[in-house]
Amino acid sequence: MKLVAATVYALRIPFVESFSHSATERRWSDSVVVQVRDDAGTVGYGEGAPRPYVTGETVETMFEHIASELWPRVAGRPVPSADDLDSLAAFVPETGLAGAIAPHASRAALELAVLDCALRRAGCPLAKLMPLRRSSVFYSGVITAGPVARAVQHARQMRAIGLSDIKLKVGFDDDVARVTAVREALGPDASLRLDANGAWSFDRAVEVLHGLTHLGIAAVEQPLPRGPVEELARLRRSTPVPIMVDESLVTEGDARVLIAAEAADFFNVRISKCGGLSRSLAVASAGLSAGLGVQIGSQVGETAILSAAGRHLAATLPAVAFVEGSFGTLLLAEDVSVESVRFGHRGEAPILTGSGLGIHVVEERLRRRAVAVRELTAEE
Amino acid sequence: MKTADGTLRSTIEQLFARQVESLTGSAEFQALENGSTAPDQYDAFIENVTRAHLRSPQLLAFLFALAPPAAAADLQHNLLEELGRDEESERPHPDLLRELLKGAGLGCRLATLEAQADEDLRRIVVDPLLYRSLREVGLVALAEIVAFEYMLSRVSGRIARALGTHRGLPPAALEWFTHHSEVDIRHAQQGLADLEAYVRYYEFGDDEALTLVEMALRENVFTRRYFRDFVAAGAGSSR
Repeated sequence: MKLVAATVYALRIPFVESFSHSATERRWSDSVVVQVRDDAGTVGYGEGAPRPYVTGETVETMFEHIASELWPRVAGRPVPSADDLDSLAAFVPETGLAGAIAPHASRAALELAVLDCALRRAGCPLAKLMPLRRSSVFYSGVITAGPVARAVQHARQMRAIGLSDIKLKVGFDDDVARVTAVREALGPDASLRLDANGAWSFDRAVEVLHGLTHLGIAAVEQPLPRGPVEELARLRRSTPVPIMVDESLVTEGDARVLIAAEAADFFNVRISKCGGLSRSLAVASAGLSAGLGVQIGSQVGETAILSAAGRHLAATLPAVAFVEGSFGTLLLAEDVSVESVRFGHRGEAPILTGSGLGIHVVEERLRRRAVAVRELTAEE
Repeated sequence: MKTADGTLRSTIEQLFARQVESLTGSAEFQALENGSTAPDQYDAFIENVTRAHLRSPQLLAFLFALAPPAAAADLQHNLLEELGRDEESERPHPDLLRELLKGAGLGCRLATLEAQADEDLRRIVVDPLLYRSLREVGLVALAEIVAFEYMLSRVSGRIARALGTHRGLPPAALEWFTHHSEVDIRHAQQGLADLEAYVRYYEFGDDEALTLVEMALRENVFTRRYFRDFVAAGAGSSR
């Protein structure tokens, strides 16, 4: 099996409503999807979500990196058989990108596409490479930034659809009032965690978290900007609220440093951020081995491709504390797969059992939703 | 969240009014009215209206099946009217939408739009249920139907004028809009009463009902249906 062609799509799918946090506001999905085709005509799809404030990639640099760095090094080469995740992942070369922490969104998009293609050609589901430990996954709700009244409205809506794990975006002047109001709306039984997206200073983090201790916060995600882990470790010792790392955890090296510094209680593992399934699995396993909890996170505006991969990852780990994503058409005006990946009541979603990633991507939707398309062949 | 008189019905009506105001104040709607919308976006708007309402009879049939006794007669009447089977109707409403498309020179898009409308309906059935039971599904669906009746009774005349003036559509093609501007003031008032009857019959608390109505509408149900792809073309903002 050799890869003979690829198509890279820069998507722009509108959201049904805006999504904000302390670092950005989004009104549409800006994922980059890679379709690869092998010499038998089998296709596979992968997706990456470039985030300048996470990996340092943009849609433009990701597009260029895939076309000029990654694709030329896999095009026309024999792809390993679909028997081993690490061999397939190693098929995608190690690359660097100037100005970026790591070109992980690019790598994730190509790795997922290669996995999907190889598994489809063999007629096997991803579970062949990543055995499943559970038959369904339960997703968290996420309350976006905005006025307190809107956050309370969202909290009530999440309660109405039975979600029991809720994440609230913080990092604003009204954080204490915001969290207090949302906790009141959710009731005492819901699990509530916070995400500051690195918006707090050390002193502000200590102040806010001390003010919220009595509200039963399950974890606070990325309270400080990505930076020296000693600062994070010091904050962890200063507050009883468990610390989850996200932007601080991009590479396997980051994981090792964070564990050694005892700077975190939870790892937030996201496939696009961590560079694909194989590396995400390695980071999650490192965290679990060190006694940390693991959240399988998502990208705001991700399509069914990343959602499907995330669901597999969540179902294959021996333990998973929280799972995010699979909003599907709750957020996107249109998703790219035939099957709906959106979770249902209580956030529950079944495991996807079809070949490859377990979904059927509709190419026509990619073409219609693309703002840029690049065709690549083995000769390029 | 509660209004001055504190009734659920008035609170929902205010919610609808705010969404209508948001629709008519949106850049997309104003461009439609003042003629600055690009020709292909007028076409997209017409197609979106058609897709949003082509299968309304099926949705009304579903709601009739769930209707509490106090609302059954209204919903039956609305269903028959949609189907062109009541005493006052001359034609099924989906036929008026087909005339709208043909009048705009978009008849060739009908099969695609019918397929999309069918898929929208199919999705309601096959997608995982967000809610605990049919009781909640019915309230969310009824809230959306009544919200559109409320909006169309106030805005469809303006839309018809805009499409007539700037897109050159003849009156016959605009009958779906002009018809709604005449009949939906009554429908909207009935609809609000039906919503309240549904809430009471199925024993929702006011806060619970309001939350579900808000979920049906989200940021703006009208722009979500009628301007579904405009943001992708460059409107809005993102950092």
